[in-house]
Amino acid sequence: MQVTGSLKGRSSRWIRSVNSLAGAAMFVAPLLALVAIWAIVVPLFNVNPRVFPSVGAVGGAAMESIRDGTLIAHVGASLLRVGLGTLIGIATAVPLGIAMGVSPTVAAFLTPLFRFFSVLAGIAWIPIATLWFGYGFGAIVFVIFNAVFFVVAYNTLLGVRTIPHTLRNAAASLGAGRWALLTEVLLPGALPNIVTGIRTGLGFAWRGLIAAEMIATNVGLGYMLFVARDFYRTEVIVFGMIVIGVLWLLIDRLMLVPLERATIERWGMVRRA
Amino acid sequence: MKTLSLRNLGKTYFDPYAGAHVTAVHDVSLDVEPGEFISVVGPSGCGKTTILNMIAGFIPYSKGDILLDGKPVHGPGPERGVVFQSFALFPWKTVLDNVGFGPKMRGVPKAERDRIAREYLALAGLSHAAHRYPNELSGGMQQRVGVVRALANNPSVLLMDEPFASVDAQTRMTLQEELTRIWQERKPTVIFITHDVPEAVFLANRVVVLSKGRVLDEIAVDLPRPRVWDNLVKDDDFKQLSARVLQMVRAA
Repeated sequence: MQVTGSLKGRSSRWIRSVNSLAGAAMFVAPLLALVAIWAIVVPLFNVNPRVFPSVGAVGGAAMESIRDGTLIAHVGASLLRVGLGTLIGIATAVPLGIAMGVSPTVAAFLTPLFRFFSVLAGIAWIPIATLWFGYGFGAIVFVIFNAVFFVVAYNTLLGVRTIPHTLRNAAASLGAGRWALLTEVLLPGALPNIVTGIRTGLGFAWRGLIAAEMIATNVGLGYMLFVARDFYRTEVIVFGMIVIGVLWLLIDRLMLVPLERATIERWGMVRRA
Repeated sequence: MKTLSLRNLGKTYFDPYAGAHVTAVHDVSLDVEPGEFISVVGPSGCGKTTILNMIAGFIPYSKGDILLDGKPVHGPGPERGVVFQSFALFPWKTVLDNVGFGPKMRGVPKAERDRIAREYLALAGLSHAAHRYPNELSGGMQQRVGVVRALANNPSVLLMDEPFASVDAQTRMTLQEELTRIWQERKPTVIFITHDVPEAVFLANRVVVLSKGRVLDEIAVDLPRPRVWDNLVKDDDFKQLSARVLQMVRAA
């Protein structure tokens, strides 16, 4: 029994890894096609490098920035800001979202404010953030926080509201008090929506980060793009754009998607597509 | 002492759609002895689920008293275990942690509450499913978990709200037989709400027939135990009792 069990486990794991390889290939193929078109079109029409760089020039810019350490410095600065702003955003938004989900009065009072501020969330705050925190770290972290906060709070509220009322009744009739209700029912019950909120919020935050870094700092990926423009270094700009896109995909695929798998899919709380 | 007493219990609420006050329960009095199994039957709208929700403390009552071991009850509490029609298992907890939830709320240490949970899972023949999540189980298995989760908390009274209504007919018969077996082993006090007359008679010592928010009649069920469907479907006493109750419910 055990042998067949482990064989079965191994073969299904093998099938899954083949599937995920196939999936990765499907994902990469269009991107490779785009690079191929780029490699053909730029020399074919003899495009001015001030308008768009060749594949080789971008490769050169990549090598250069890796060798002299500037890439690591920019990426590190950007990731630190996004990470910190997101953490502060989650830590403040989840309790507020739960309070709104539990209390209709709190929710009714705050909902118009949320509608209003979620439109403004993110880059509209850059000018005033630089007045409050000065150019640099504080202002950018604030903008990230702002982008994450409203989305996560709103999704937490939705999450708490979608928990079936019988689950709260069940917990209460098994002896759960207010605190246990919070930690054992409301938080895990709202988690699928919280994770969705974090995914969306981080997407906003990532865009907000690049914009904020163009204006309010002297290090980071946004700054790298913006400075290269002053010197007509299109190969640095395009390389920076590629890094921004690839980093986001890595964050999403390697952190957020596995988080969803480990929790809410296992519990059967979202239907697998 | 009676385990549970309902004294002139009534429930009136404001229905915003009708724009008027509606009386779901008029005047219900009922005494439940310790270890008794009571089925409450009646047509839809007779107030049976409202009564159960008031005993469970999920909704307040408008008049009368609910006394548990002589003390009035308000709000939900662990001395009244509830089995829900929709199972209401926590999807983010394993079967073992679902059953151990009540003991956890009482502050029982992890090792001890796992032992309790395993004991009750064994009672329902679910030992193999301890580490599964509810969504990985069939409806019948989920409701077995629902029953032993309530029992594992050692309630004074077990409230069951049409618990087998959403499982298929074959599974329902098995669950009914298991419930009578578990009841004989542990002798919990049970109030079982259903609209299924044969189910009510099969399970109970006493069947309470409700109509329009009032108790229409009470019928004692003295059929021998253990009760199994293979014997009872041929049993004349069972057939006569069921027919009598069914007539009352239809006339109600």
